[in-house]
Amino acid sequence: MQAMRQSQQVKRLQAIFRDPLLAVVLLLMVFFVTITIVLPLVAMVGESLSPEGLPLFERYLSNPVYQTILMNTLVLGTVVGIVGTLVGFLFAFVQVKLRVPFKRAMHIIALIPVISPPFAVATAAIVLFGRSGTISRGIFGVRYDIYGLDGLTLVMSLSFFTIAYLNLRGMMEALDPALDEAATNLGANKWRIFRTVTLPMLLPGIASSFLLLFVEALADLGNPLVMGGNYEVLATRVYVTIIGLYDTTGAAVLSIILLVPSLTVFLVQRYWINRISVVTVTGKPSGTPQTIDHPLVRWGLFGIVIFICGIIVLIYGTIIHGSFVRVPGVRWDFTLEHFDFVLNGIGAQAMRDTTALSALATPIAGLIGMVIAYLVVRKDFLGRNLLDFSTMMGIAVPGTIIGIGYILMFNSPIMIGDFTLIPKLTGGQGAFGGALAIILVYVIRSAPAALRTGTAALSQIDPSIEEASLSLGADNARTFRRITLPLIRPAFLAGLIYAFARSMTTISAIIFLTTPQTKIMTQQILNEVENGRYGNAFAYCVILIIIVMVAISVLYFIVGARTGAERRLEGGL
Amino acid sequence: MSERSIRLKLEHIVKAFPDRGGGGMVRAVDDISLDIYSGEFLTLLGPSGCGKTTTLRLIAGFELPTEGRILLDGQDITPQPPNKRDMALVFQNYALFPHMSVYDNVAYGLETRRLPRQQIRDKVQASLKQIGLEKLDNRRPNQLSGGQQQRVALARSLVMEPRILLFDEPLSNLDAKLRVQMRSEIHRLQRRLGITSIYVTHDQVEAMALSDRIVVMNKGRIEQIGSPQEIYRYPATRFVADFIGRANFIEDVPCRNTGGGQAQVDLLGKSLNVPIRFEHHAEKVTVLLRPEALVLREDPSLKQVVIDQAMYLGSEVEYVVSIDDRQLVVVEQDPRLSRVYAEGQTVGIDFVAEAVHLLPR
Amino acid sequence: MMNKKLMSLAGIVGGLLLVGAPAFAQDTLTVLCTPQEDWCVAMTAAFEEQTGIDTNYVRLSSGESLARIRAAADNPEFSVWWGGPADAFEAAAEEGLIEIYDSPNTEAIPENYRDEAGYWTGVYVGALGFCSNLDVLAELGVEAPTSWDDLLAPELEGFVAMAHPATSGTAFTAFWTVVTLNADALEAEEAGTGYDEDGAPTQAAVDNAFEYFAALNNNILQYTRSGSAPGSLAGQGEIAVAVIFSHDCTKLQLEGFDGILTTTFPEEGTGYEIGGMAIIANAPEAEAARLWYDWALTAEAQAIGPTVNSLQLPTNPDAPVSELAVDLTSITVVEYNFVAAGASRVAITERFDAEIATAPTE
Repeated sequence: MQAMRQSQQVKRLQAIFRDPLLAVVLLLMVFFVTITIVLPLVAMVGESLSPEGLPLFERYLSNPVYQTILMNTLVLGTVVGIVGTLVGFLFAFVQVKLRVPFKRAMHIIALIPVISPPFAVATAAIVLFGRSGTISRGIFGVRYDIYGLDGLTLVMSLSFFTIAYLNLRGMMEALDPALDEAATNLGANKWRIFRTVTLPMLLPGIASSFLLLFVEALADLGNPLVMGGNYEVLATRVYVTIIGLYDTTGAAVLSIILLVPSLTVFLVQRYWINRISVVTVTGKPSGTPQTIDHPLVRWGLFGIVIFICGIIVLIYGTIIHGSFVRVPGVRWDFTLEHFDFVLNGIGAQAMRDTTALSALATPIAGLIGMVIAYLVVRKDFLGRNLLDFSTMMGIAVPGTIIGIGYILMFNSPIMIGDFTLIPKLTGGQGAFGGALAIILVYVIRSAPAALRTGTAALSQIDPSIEEASLSLGADNARTFRRITLPLIRPAFLAGLIYAFARSMTTISAIIFLTTPQTKIMTQQILNEVENGRYGNAFAYCVILIIIVMVAISVLYFIVGARTGAERRLEGGL
Repeated sequence: MSERSIRLKLEHIVKAFPDRGGGGMVRAVDDISLDIYSGEFLTLLGPSGCGKTTTLRLIAGFELPTEGRILLDGQDITPQPPNKRDMALVFQNYALFPHMSVYDNVAYGLETRRLPRQQIRDKVQASLKQIGLEKLDNRRPNQLSGGQQQRVALARSLVMEPRILLFDEPLSNLDAKLRVQMRSEIHRLQRRLGITSIYVTHDQVEAMALSDRIVVMNKGRIEQIGSPQEIYRYPATRFVADFIGRANFIEDVPCRNTGGGQAQVDLLGKSLNVPIRFEHHAEKVTVLLRPEALVLREDPSLKQVVIDQAMYLGSEVEYVVSIDDRQLVVVEQDPRLSRVYAEGQTVGIDFVAEAVHLLPR
Repeated sequence: MMNKKLMSLAGIVGGLLLVGAPAFAQDTLTVLCTPQEDWCVAMTAAFEEQTGIDTNYVRLSSGESLARIRAAADNPEFSVWWGGPADAFEAAAEEGLIEIYDSPNTEAIPENYRDEAGYWTGVYVGALGFCSNLDVLAELGVEAPTSWDDLLAPELEGFVAMAHPATSGTAFTAFWTVVTLNADALEAEEAGTGYDEDGAPTQAAVDNAFEYFAALNNNILQYTRSGSAPGSLAGQGEIAVAVIFSHDCTKLQLEGFDGILTTTFPEEGTGYEIGGMAIIANAPEAEAARLWYDWALTAEAQAIGPTVNSLQLPTNPDAPVSELAVDLTSITVVEYNFVAAGASRVAITERFDAEIATAPTE
């Protein structure tokens, strides 16, 4: 039996190597992920397990201060995960299952937070709902203390729920309406259908949304920095440890501690998803989704979603408005000086650099995400789960850790004998003035989202559709290009948009990688926020948002342009 | 038909999957050897889990055999990927490309071969005409009925003129009437085009209707290979007899080998000589009598049975009768010619001697 | 197909970046710049104009700067480090990350603004102050604070902010100022109780300072990470009083908060920071770095700050002083022991973290 198992594994490898191209692509992916994700993390773990690092574990974990911080982190991750997923679910549900007006507008509003420059939402929320907030103080006359868990939950849920929304909306639309019909047939009422059919089918999507939001909330640095109050979390503590205590080893140890909850949730979710994964899209679609017409459900949910939309509009309105006034929240006289500062001053180079690097990273991230999703879902090979897992590390690991890992790993070239395998990547003398390192970080930070949406989309597509293509003589590459990619195009597009927006707005991962040759907008925003120049910060945000909007339009044009009819069928994203 | 060449050869094919629960391996396909002749329609028939679909996927190249070789026209194709095999598979769920029109679906494989545009157009149109969907070439798969979708799937495979056409339960998603219609359409097309076809089904009627030869599979092994007639009339095992059609088994029938491939058995009060098709040493055998081989007659000289159940089905009447301690199923064809017996009535029973088939115990 | 696409993408990446890749000639300089961005821009532009050396900078906070230099110690990416609190330079010198440079222009700088060993030289000085929002003060019915004890007023509960000493040189300066004041008070009562024989404040003085900050904690809304951030909180009306450097408050006033914010100083004494400058060890552009070093100490270079609203005091006595800048002679400044401060830093910040910052507020 043992021998047979081994020969079976050899056969599995043979299956991959039957197609040399597939093998090349696979090796390429493995190589890429190993170099860009695994090695920096190994360097990080190595640092934490060094003789200086090891004793710190005990010191931190037995210290009540750090216990509180750890607890805060977990509570925040969980609360944001739940609230964000719930909001995303509501938006998706309203889009797919209810007949209500303004759906298109709600869809667009739900997409806006994809483009949330760090600090922007939190800063705007303070202007609106802070102690001297335009709304809290100005309208309701209360000095509301927004700093802490409640404020963080608000801004983080609003910043991140879009991931859950897109994820769940895609799945809800893909649900076979015949299932609903079958359940109705069996005498179930709509609530029962929802509970017993719709919800269980969506569980994988809900789980992965929760996971993404959880790790997102754990890793977020910008929001806790601005409105954490005295609610300290691990991400800010890691930051503090470096910025304040100049202690890379301590930061590495804290990072490892921060990794544990992320990885745990990640593993639980993976194990669970594998068990309950459902195939619903076959080669024979049928029917249109049933809508739910109960007035209480319909208008109740509609009202909630409209209310949330209102808050989002208000926050982004504040950002835009604030960029045109002297001091947002204080001096409301009109001025263009902030835009002058950004466009004609320091900001111009940052704008160009950030956009160029993000634009380069986006297609790479999208493609890598989709290719790995394809390999992982469709191909059977040794280390398949490991590849998926390693790729996901790109996002499961908080950005600061990636940044430190890169510094530790790529500050000198990696040599094999006399052959330079990887040149020095970080710092001013790094490859391309350090820009390559930033691109790589952008890629590995956004590829996991593409991988997840791709995986979710793929696991809903009957493999026989791809087998049909193979059977008709198309090789794996052609099948991927002509069949798989078009079928998961909504996921691909979402992945690309996410990748670009994410790259443009990321800060924690690249804070250590900026060089004199490459200026990054988010870091400029951080400077302005820290110096209280909200107007400048908002002007940066507005320009950043415009760049991302333009990029999204371009992506729609390129990726979504193949046939108009199809786009209409997919109803937007 | 005598000069038929072997198109596909399976040599000692084994496919083992890791056991879901334990750490062991499960042999889904267990040492199968099989020749498929050029131009023939061969069906892999068996209950679910018998390994027929796995065998088909091994042939198509979606799975790699754990052991054994697959030869196509004498050439070893075992390691070749599916797209290099010049076979086309018609899927159970059609597997149409949902984002492409009917035309593009059918043209897909030809485009892969990089044929000239005009040639593709001609071939696709001819193919669509063949299945009567030439007017729907702009439709999307989700705008077609189930039957139409399956036709497109068929056209998509046929247009490739593959060396072997593979079918994976293509009719199981259709309703009964459409199934019969499509069945005859497949039959017609295959006979006309003479494409070597391998067809997987669990429906014995479908298998009988379409096939030149049927391979009956059970638990990953081949139980019997033969023409529909052979399989039906002379099943090699009790499993085959039971799976194909309905069967009365009369066990422990005394049997004397009289030499020359003949044996003498005592059956329903008669003693007769019947051919014996397996190596026989035992004193007793199991006799297979198909329900339609039994005849009921009001004749006191015959062995008498009691009618337990009578069901009038239009084209036939089905009886369940008691004889000694066992029950038999009797089907009387064309009931216009004879009367329908009432339940509880006692009648004589006879059988068509040529239909008696002996099975090892 | 797939990999062909990837290859071409990689090609595009490479091609585009090659165009933008910098030339590594001798006539370049990379500055690690810790003060505010616009000051960095103005400084590098002026230097470039004067010398023709292509000058770039990266702006990082002092903590990041140190971590970054340390990480790249074998192959430094910067040549000179300009600005940021002196204690970070002390730490860098201790680790051998910066090297001694005896600039001819150092002579011009008063001795108390430079390192005895010559590792770093001060380029600016700033005094700690209270930055208050007049509207909020009026609403709460309190005057702008003029002593450290004023911050403890019950009316100010939740209306004071300062940075976290662990992340911010500003906040640590504030803490050490209170330690020094306590040491002075103890010393006044009984000689030898406030300072030890080395001139460092005693543990008792430190304990008293902790007592003060524990009391202050009730009034603190938030310990920000950045030293200047409490100022903008005050400007926004989120708090009444921010403990920050006075020049940061002045900058805010110049940039829109005039008439809203006011600067006051504690009468009993306030602390100050020295912004340092040093040559990075094994600097790739050592020659240009020295040129910068010499230049940055001149009166001319130190006159640039006020043009971008950075009103730190110049260390070169010949540099013009903006009338908006704080006059160190008009306020009481404590005797700030930088060496003792640097030595106690880790212990104090960790204790602050454990006892004060994370303690629940009422």
